[in-house]
Amino acid sequence: MVKKISFLVLSVAILVIGVIAFSKLGYWDRSIRIFKYSSNTPFEGRQGRGQEGREGREGFARPEMRELPDSIRARFENREGRPGQGMRERNVPDSIRQQFGPRDGERTGRGPIEGGMRNGDGRGRGEFPGGKKINIRNVKWFLAVFAAFTVIVIYIDKAVCLIRRRKGIQIRNPERA
Amino acid sequence: MNISKFFLSLIITIAMLLLMDPRSFYGLAFHEWAGLVIGIFFILHKILNWGWIKKVTVGFFKKCPGRARFNYILDVLLLAGITLMILSGIAIARTIDFSWLNLGGSRMFWRVMHTSSSLITLALFGIHLGLHWNWVLMMLHIKKSKNGKEN
Repeated sequence: MVKKISFLVLSVAILVIGVIAFSKLGYWDRSIRIFKYSSNTPFEGRQGRGQEGREGREGFARPEMRELPDSIRARFENREGRPGQGMRERNVPDSIRQQFGPRDGERTGRGPIEGGMRNGDGRGRGEFPGGKKINIRNVKWFLAVFAAFTVIVIYIDKAVCLIRRRKGIQIRNPERA
Repeated sequence: MNISKFFLSLIITIAMLLLMDPRSFYGLAFHEWAGLVIGIFFILHKILNWGWIKKVTVGFFKKCPGRARFNYILDVLLLAGITLMILSGIAIARTIDFSWLNLGGSRMFWRVMHTSSSLITLALFGIHLGLHWNWVLMMLHIKKSKNGKEN
């Protein structure tokens, strides 16, 4: 009995953390974003999502970009190629190149691998301050959601099996029912 | 056979979780290479379970238990999710050059596709694990099998 109660408490804890992680990551919004996607509508960028992911860059949600003249903005919005083919290879005035260039590793010509995170001078891509290469803080939230899904399915499966078993008993012994 | 299946599944699960945040584990280069490797592992997982796949495919509309049918549909969705995840990952790759593939579509579309498909696939992974939980417990010697086999 103690074992069952402790498993139940553990399951409830996993579910609660899973629900928190689900809302923290903006899991639902980000999952169904592809079904709402339209190439004509402007992309919302970082709205409605957690701290991870970097889709926001594509939508030019940065306010400075909106202040640019239409002709220059159109050049960026029409870009289709790989990163790195951005400002370097287009006729963009130097003043604008300086303003936007350093914010993204690939656009500054630092190369695709050694680019790094924002303000990450001297750091390799993916490294965190202090030279750390592993930071599973965000992964923990994904693990929580994953575990919550697993726990929900385990209990639903158990419930379905229990219902089926009871139905089976009722069919075999109709008087008992 | 079962032990190898178990360890393969464990590796896929851990890798999938680490891949959910591109910068969490040795950066984008690891993310992209591990993303490709996970696809190979997934195919290997399917090859190891080929007997079950064949059996259910043949009897899907005939004499197949509801649970097996549900598992089969879930597996098809997982396959579709992983395929989309890898395809979109290839389209937006930065450290590996896949430009020669000319996948087309805007980068923004592939990026949204990559995020959505990976999140949906992770949820499907969780459901898949939940449905095979008894098998996992058997592998860990926590639970004894009723008829010696699962599935």
